[in-house]
Amino acid sequence: MSELATAVFAAQSGAHLLDAPRTARFAAFRRGFDEESYRQDLSRRGVRWVPRGDPAFPAQLRSIHDPPPGLFVRGDATLALLERPSIAVVGARACSAYGASVATTLGRELAAAGVVVVSGLARGIDAAAHRGCLETGSTVAVLGCGIDRDYPRAHATLAVQIAASGLIVSEYAPGVEPAPWRFPARNRLVAGLARATVVVEARERSGALITSDLALDEGREVLAVPGEITSALSKGTNALLRLGATPVTCAGDVLEAIGIEPLPPPDPPALSGPAGRVRAVIADAPAPADELIRRTGLAAGELAAVLAELELLGLVTQADGLYREVMSST
Amino acid sequence: MLARTVTHALVGIDPRRVEVEAHLQQGLPSFAIVGLADRACQEAKERVRSGISSAELEWPTKRRITVNLAPAALRKEGSGFDLPIALAVLAASYQVPPEALEGHAAVGELALDGRLRPVPGALVAAEGARRSGLTHLVCAAESGAEVALAGIAPVGVHHLAEAVAYLRGERDPPEPPPPADDFETLAGIPDLADVRGQERARRALEVAAAGGHNLLLAGPPGSGKTMLARRLPGILPLLGDDASLEVTRIHSVSGVLPPGNGLIRVPPFRAPHHSASVAALIGGGGGMPRPGEVSLAHHGILFLDELPEFQRPALEALRQPLEDGYLTVVRVAGRVVFPARFQLVAAMNLCPCGARGDGTAHCACTPERVQRYREKLSRALLDRFDLLLTVPRPRAGDLAGAPGEASAAVRERVLGARRRLREHAPQRTQPADELLTRAVERLPLSGRGRARVARVAATIAALAGADAVEPEQLAEALSYRPPVELSE
Ligand SMILES: [Zn+2]
Repeated sequence: MSELATAVFAAQSGAHLLDAPRTARFAAFRRGFDEESYRQDLSRRGVRWVPRGDPAFPAQLRSIHDPPPGLFVRGDATLALLERPSIAVVGARACSAYGASVATTLGRELAAAGVVVVSGLARGIDAAAHRGCLETGSTVAVLGCGIDRDYPRAHATLAVQIAASGLIVSEYAPGVEPAPWRFPARNRLVAGLARATVVVEARERSGALITSDLALDEGREVLAVPGEITSALSKGTNALLRLGATPVTCAGDVLEAIGIEPLPPPDPPALSGPAGRVRAVIADAPAPADELIRRTGLAAGELAAVLAELELLGLVTQADGLYREVMSST
Repeated sequence: MLARTVTHALVGIDPRRVEVEAHLQQGLPSFAIVGLADRACQEAKERVRSGISSAELEWPTKRRITVNLAPAALRKEGSGFDLPIALAVLAASYQVPPEALEGHAAVGELALDGRLRPVPGALVAAEGARRSGLTHLVCAAESGAEVALAGIAPVGVHHLAEAVAYLRGERDPPEPPPPADDFETLAGIPDLADVRGQERARRALEVAAAGGHNLLLAGPPGSGKTMLARRLPGILPLLGDDASLEVTRIHSVSGVLPPGNGLIRVPPFRAPHHSASVAALIGGGGGMPRPGEVSLAHHGILFLDELPEFQRPALEALRQPLEDGYLTVVRVAGRVVFPARFQLVAAMNLCPCGARGDGTAHCACTPERVQRYREKLSRALLDRFDLLLTVPRPRAGDLAGAPGEASAAVRERVLGARRRLREHAPQRTQPADELLTRAVERLPLSGRGRARVARVAATIAALAGADAVEPEQLAEALSYRPPVELSE
């Protein structure tokens, strides 16, 4: 078996390799490569190596036309996580508060339904989706750099949380630096690991659309979340919808697309009194706190308490000073 | 002939006794100052010589004059040594009876025409004199009120000649200054009544005042962040005696004490510009370290507008004082500890162009720029803020309302809450505790964040006059935690 040697050779030569190259350089490298001690070193660092030929290699990913020689994996979940029904959730790094809120809700509800959400640990939609999953279950992050890197660095804590209950995977051996040209390759793994891909927000010609194109190339389902027709962040997703992508209006739409019976929706928390009034105002349109105070007659402290309760119940979210309703699950 | 006067040098904000000995000998005429004196001190020669002549006194000619500042190991800076040097020279030449100097210390700068000028740190010099067992301090008339605060009799004079006349017993000691009014008027501080709408931000300000909590206001320009922050001193309690003396001392040393004023009773409000250097912010500078803005804000408020625009090293340097309430500045000239227990209030835009959160403007910032802007604030620094609030730009309807509640009424509640927190801090009820646990599971709250929420909740309960922290109060405290986009 030469998969590990291929992956390590690729890392050291800065190339992107799917199979062992038939070159003298690789032959020389392979003669000097001590696979056993390299494996021991990996396991010391808490990294597993799953070669393409291994039965544990995710079947979904093996079936794409350019699968990697293997996967480096870290995290506390078993590899069985990669065989569970899975959905890729992708979108803009610079997303809107609306997009982040939708991605978080999708993550939370898909994870609650036992579906594994796969994403790229990037800023914006990716991170929001991962975070939503962590509230109710586990998630899988695919890196576009070496398995030992947390990229972007701002998400180091998020990566630790993901690894505590889920998995972080990469086709790149330790030491490979992040580089822009590797991200499309990463996107093919995100799409390849999932049965369907949901695009939450995407500009025209953006990375998220590359992921959905890759999913379509592999014959996987692509879904898109409708957005405002005037927003640049909706140009990509609305274009997908026009081309026939399935619109996502709730997590149930996504589950249905991969043939999973949606869970009966939880009883909406009965809200009465001030919380009910505040929620009703927010349901009309996102509003800043001072407007809520004016329209509900609550004191500032009372309103703050109500808002925190609504946020904890997952009904309301805040960004840039505006409180908005979280997408409902039905 | 040898004569001696006593003065006090500043080491940080502490006085160090310095003996000024003037030695007159027969010999080639000369005038030397020895004992590690800096350049400003060396320039004292010109001022002392000229000042003595202008006072129609005699400069000892045909004498070798040596002035020794002891202890020699102590670095001496500034112009406050002029007066004690002049008096020592005059005593050594019998123009002032040497015994008249007993019980007296002296501090002050001489102008070339013999007038006496106040120097920074007169209060500290006076405290040093009192501790040395002296009863009088000869100083500039403007410093009289400040010196009196130390519990020592000021001999405030306008001119060297006046000081000499007093020491010769030719004139009565100058009238002691009228007891200075403590600087406690709230008159100059803007009132919260000017703030219309902004109910949520006003509430956060009140909670911050009641608990002494650090507050971060994020919002577009025009959302009234600075306007609110400037009104904080007006709703805080006045400083107690010890705190007041400490604050006055620091301001005296920095030379920013308004002349003729008594103790500073109103919590200071310092708002350094974001271009401020690390030294200006935390203290230092060449030679003997001087207090920085964080120390001038001791027992008061340090307001940092445009927080992410501050240099990263400056922000990181805030961490020691935020943690310990003091900071240590080490320079060649010495190691000095400055008190710096301040309440941190900061303001920032939501993005570099400022349009975010402003419903009427369009933000043109790229996501990378927004990210870089926010990443300037380290997690560790954000962790220091107990209350974080996003303040959107008020809509027209918010501004049309009646004037807000006046500072005086808010201040009453703040004082009541502070009393309650001191005497009987509200404890969490079990339901409140359960809510906190649930929140820690659901929200990105660090361990520090949990403790902070608990403290803020106790303040909110104290403001309500409650004996215990109920879930509603804990929930309100939770609403002031950082939004996810800042907490990554
Ligand atoms: Zn902007």
